[in-house]
Amino acid sequence: MGIAATITEPTEGLLFQGKKSVEPILRTENLWKLYRAGKVEVPALRGVNFEVLPGESVAVMGPSGCGKSSLLYVIGGLAQASRGKVLVDGNDLTELSDAARTKLRRHKIGFVFQRFNLLPTLTAKGNIAIAQFIHGDGFDPHRFDVVTQMLGLAGRLHHKPSELSGGEQQRVAIARAIINEPKILLADEPTGNLDSKNSEIVLQMLRQLNKDLGQTIVMITHNPEATTYFHRVVHMRDGIIVDGVPAD
Amino acid sequence: MMGELILRNLLHRPMRTLIGAMGIAVEVALVILIVGLTNGLLTETAKRIEGIGADIMVQPPSASFLFAFGSAPMPIKIGDKLAELKYVKSVAPVLFQFNTSGVEVVYGIDSESFRAVSGGFVFLQGNDLEGPDDILVDDIAAKTKKIQPGQTYRIFDHDWHVAGIVEHGKGSRLFVPLATLQELVGARDKATIFFVKCTRPEHMDDVMENIRHILPGYTVRPLKDYLSLMTSTNIPGLEAFINSMILLAISIGLLVIFLTMYTTVIERTRDIGVLKSLGANHWFVIRALLAESAALCLLGVGAGVGLSYLVRAGFLWKFPTLTILITPEWILRATGIALAGAMLGASYPAWMASRKDAVEALSYD
Ligand SMILES: Nc1ncnc2c1ncn2[C@@H]1O[C@H](COP(=O)(O)OP(=O)(O)OP(=O)(O)O)[C@@H](O)[C@H]1O
Ligand SMILES: [Mg+2]
Repeated sequence: MGIAATITEPTEGLLFQGKKSVEPILRTENLWKLYRAGKVEVPALRGVNFEVLPGESVAVMGPSGCGKSSLLYVIGGLAQASRGKVLVDGNDLTELSDAARTKLRRHKIGFVFQRFNLLPTLTAKGNIAIAQFIHGDGFDPHRFDVVTQMLGLAGRLHHKPSELSGGEQQRVAIARAIINEPKILLADEPTGNLDSKNSEIVLQMLRQLNKDLGQTIVMITHNPEATTYFHRVVHMRDGIIVDGVPAD
Repeated sequence: MMGELILRNLLHRPMRTLIGAMGIAVEVALVILIVGLTNGLLTETAKRIEGIGADIMVQPPSASFLFAFGSAPMPIKIGDKLAELKYVKSVAPVLFQFNTSGVEVVYGIDSESFRAVSGGFVFLQGNDLEGPDDILVDDIAAKTKKIQPGQTYRIFDHDWHVAGIVEHGKGSRLFVPLATLQELVGARDKATIFFVKCTRPEHMDDVMENIRHILPGYTVRPLKDYLSLMTSTNIPGLEAFINSMILLAISIGLLVIFLTMYTTVIERTRDIGVLKSLGANHWFVIRALLAESAALCLLGVGAGVGLSYLVRAGFLWKFPTLTILITPEWILRATGIALAGAMLGASYPAWMASRKDAVEALSYD
């Protein structure tokens, strides 16, 4: 596949500085998200302006409760925005119906969670295949092979999640998220439940996906070291983004 | 893929699957057995009546073909009038009397005329009715009640002398002399029914025409129609009863599936959130759960059909006189009924699952 050969190519950081004319794949404008807790409204996002270019990898950091997950859910169309705009590949999610957001998510978004969230009854293969099934294009053996080999899962495909290590489970989850070639991969603390060795493997694989397949990634993390694997780090506090400085 | 998901889910909680399927099995077995017993009894009675060998039966006006207990008997003299008609070979008056439990009918017969109409009994042991207190018992009744010729058998507060054991299939299982039964039940010179034998079968229509002429208003029917009349729809209340029993059975299945799927949906809350994060829409979630319920239901149907045959075998072993008819038609119907009930029971949990908020579902423990 030539994957190993490309992994260390030092192109990161340089790639996007000369390409500001490229349309962002993701853009939020004054994005608000309010949760209703009883009678009071809790603002989780308070006017987020955020852009991600195609092929970019962005780490989002910030203290607990600052709205990182909320941002990811709204971007991914899992939750409805309260105010503002969310443009994913040119579609404004805030103007879409629930069904249309679901469809957009099916075709353009891949999710990875801290808790792996594999379906416990299915094997690793089944967990990946069901994403292809929901996507609707059926099982694509070629894509399946490329993805599972890249994530080092070839020998573990017939095991159930309970028979896999945390690191393996998370790699299956990543395979599931990218199997349908989403425009954006959204990861919410994907290394949060992993030890440092497995965290490193997962982070390396995310970087490899970004470089080899041009996968756009937005990842939430609490781990400052994790940010070195990404083009850019974004800091959030109290529901807003406080900077947007490039990582390097 | 959907098939695999369903299969894996069913296997994941074997106990849940087992209990759910058992609920459906009970439902299906209840339907099959209740209908099978009713149809069995009706068909068996009808066949026995047909087996008498007469061509026509004559009953008083408005009599039920069921020979209901209370139907007013007719004067026995009518028999003489029937015997005089053209093409009539013989006429046998019979008085019906139900035993106290109301399930068994005893025929009061006149040996000679009954033989002329039916072609006579096949005697397996003993001999024909001779004395006034003689009783004939068919082989099946003799076997279940363990009756031997020469014994005394008590029915209608009267001691009968068992004269002979006859082959089954001649209308009843117990036969006593007409005169004695008339006396016992206070129906002197009365008969419940007349069985008529024609000289040739092709004359039947003419004979029936003539009977209707001399006995206007009387119920006159060919015996061969009897089988088709003996259906639950023709018996007042029976259809309603069966339907209520089926409804009860359905509610068992419905509740079992409802509870099973309801707990399943709660248990799988996070999985449902995952499916939604992968882009599954409401319809996908509903379809997956309904299909799983249908699969569970079909498992139960299989078990239920097996259970029906098992229960039937048990009953027939213990009560050889019983007939339980299990037909492919009713197996299919029971399947349909169970499936419909299961879909209904699963629809609320499925709808509930499809409505779950994805973000909340994903953070569910
Ligand atoms: N369903 C909800 N109802 C009410 N308030 C909520 C809900 N979900 C989140 N919040 C609140 O919104 C704010 C942002 O939550 P969010 O989960 O986005 O934070 P986070 O940055 O992901 O935190 P963490 O790092 O702990 O995961 C918090 O104050 C949280 O309490
Ligand atoms: Mg979070």
